[in-house]
Amino acid sequence: MSEEYDFDVAIVGAGPAGCAAALVLAQAGIEVVVLERGQYPGAKNVSGAAIYGPVLNNLVPNYWEDKESFERHLTTKKITMMSEARSMTIDVDLRDFNQTPYNGITVLRPKFDRWLSEKAEAAGAMILPDTMVEDFVWKDKQIVGVKSGEEELRAKLVIIAEGTNRILTEKAKLAKHPHAHHYAVAMKETYELPKKQIEERFHVTGTEGISNEILGHSRGIPGGGFFYTNENTLSFGLILNAKSLAEKKLKATEVFEDFKNHSYIRKLLKDAKMIEYSAHMIPKGGFKNLSKLYGNGVIVVGDAAGMALNAGLYMEGMNFALESGRIAGEAAKKILESNNYTKKSTKIYKNELKKSFAYQDLKTFKRAAKFLENERIFAHYPELINGLFYRLLKNNGKPREKITRAAIKHIITRTKILKAIKDVIGGLTSL
Amino acid sequence: MSDAKKVMTIDEKLDLTKITTDHNYEHITINPAICKAKCTTHDCVYGCPADCYKFTEGEDAEGPVSYDSVACLECGVCRVVCPHGSVDWHNPKGGFGVEFKHS
Repeated sequence: MSEEYDFDVAIVGAGPAGCAAALVLAQAGIEVVVLERGQYPGAKNVSGAAIYGPVLNNLVPNYWEDKESFERHLTTKKITMMSEARSMTIDVDLRDFNQTPYNGITVLRPKFDRWLSEKAEAAGAMILPDTMVEDFVWKDKQIVGVKSGEEELRAKLVIIAEGTNRILTEKAKLAKHPHAHHYAVAMKETYELPKKQIEERFHVTGTEGISNEILGHSRGIPGGGFFYTNENTLSFGLILNAKSLAEKKLKATEVFEDFKNHSYIRKLLKDAKMIEYSAHMIPKGGFKNLSKLYGNGVIVVGDAAGMALNAGLYMEGMNFALESGRIAGEAAKKILESNNYTKKSTKIYKNELKKSFAYQDLKTFKRAAKFLENERIFAHYPELINGLFYRLLKNNGKPREKITRAAIKHIITRTKILKAIKDVIGGLTSL
Repeated sequence: MSDAKKVMTIDEKLDLTKITTDHNYEHITINPAICKAKCTTHDCVYGCPADCYKFTEGEDAEGPVSYDSVACLECGVCRVVCPHGSVDWHNPKGGFGVEFKHS
């Protein structure tokens, strides 16, 4: 190594993206350091979705043999629409997902991030927790290292994996000040429930688990709830469009408590003991919120790059992080080989990333974010469908209507038809 | 459902979260003069998941909103939703702040 540099590569942030890049690089014998501001990897992080087994398996083959790597694998997906006093759930049981590498797994980030960082460490990466990177070391117009307090650490290439708050990405002039409508606030509560009770309540055995996405009953704020089973805990949370709260003069914390008090949610959480409250900001702008992905001496991965997506059925963050981190590691190997760290060379990362499912999905669903800001989806339609079933199932001693006629009447009298047609077309084209 | 509806206060919830406060460094500060002159929407108060932002009371308040960092979960929402750039937002120094264990 040249005397000028302390490391070949310095990575800021030991989340899934940073650790994935570190693992790939360390496995190639490259000198890599990961600087993490938290007390340990994952201390600042919150899981709100599933990790895809094949994506993780690509990075850590046979990861499931390591008990620490995941909580449960998903075999049941539920989608619930709630309105006041009512709810309707679609329950999809897919026991074919019992095959390894598993379709999706649940994780708790303080555990998962630490596990992945230990993999990188075992391969030869250096992980430095309690280390806040505040700025870069510049040489002319090129980043040649990072600064933490008084200390400077020089590296040929810097990978920014700082997560959703793009403080350094902005300092590197690769992103502008964020737009509020590209972000959502996620609140989460973790509950303890004995394994046996989880198995009985959710009809799972072994490491099988369920996920439940929940729409409606969020006071008209675009967003949705999530619920996941872990080994002996439950993850429950609500994601809300950050900008809509002030417009409706509703506090995030109050909307969450109200949501939690729906009978459907109370049933899920019955007798479970809350053990932690957490919150995180989610980039949901998708393709339009991508940062510049490379600069002189620097590349950006994961949430920092805006590699996250909300497309209704698909909520992406951790998978894009793992994949963009892995690709960044591969690209960094080539960049180091070329011994050229200018934009011309670091562009390799973007070229490689473009071929990945992560980038392709962002492009496919580039109009989804805007579509999913539509309030009708989160308030009107869940109410409409629950109301329809109420009408069809209520026994009031009068002759029954024909089902189709009742349905058409119910929908037409309660819906602005032109707007509904627009929503259907919007949904079809953006999702 | 037989059990009664229960609303937990944010303080009760935050008691469960481990946070190490740095008494020598305020990682978020707001500029009450900007808030007073420009803000009509108070996005920070509505968006903060830890209720760190509160409406001030009384004539002598510096601005319409006050901020208390003790329970900050470092999400960054206040920085993003403030339309006037009144929130000067930094991460806490290494090793300080929130420390999630089960999230």
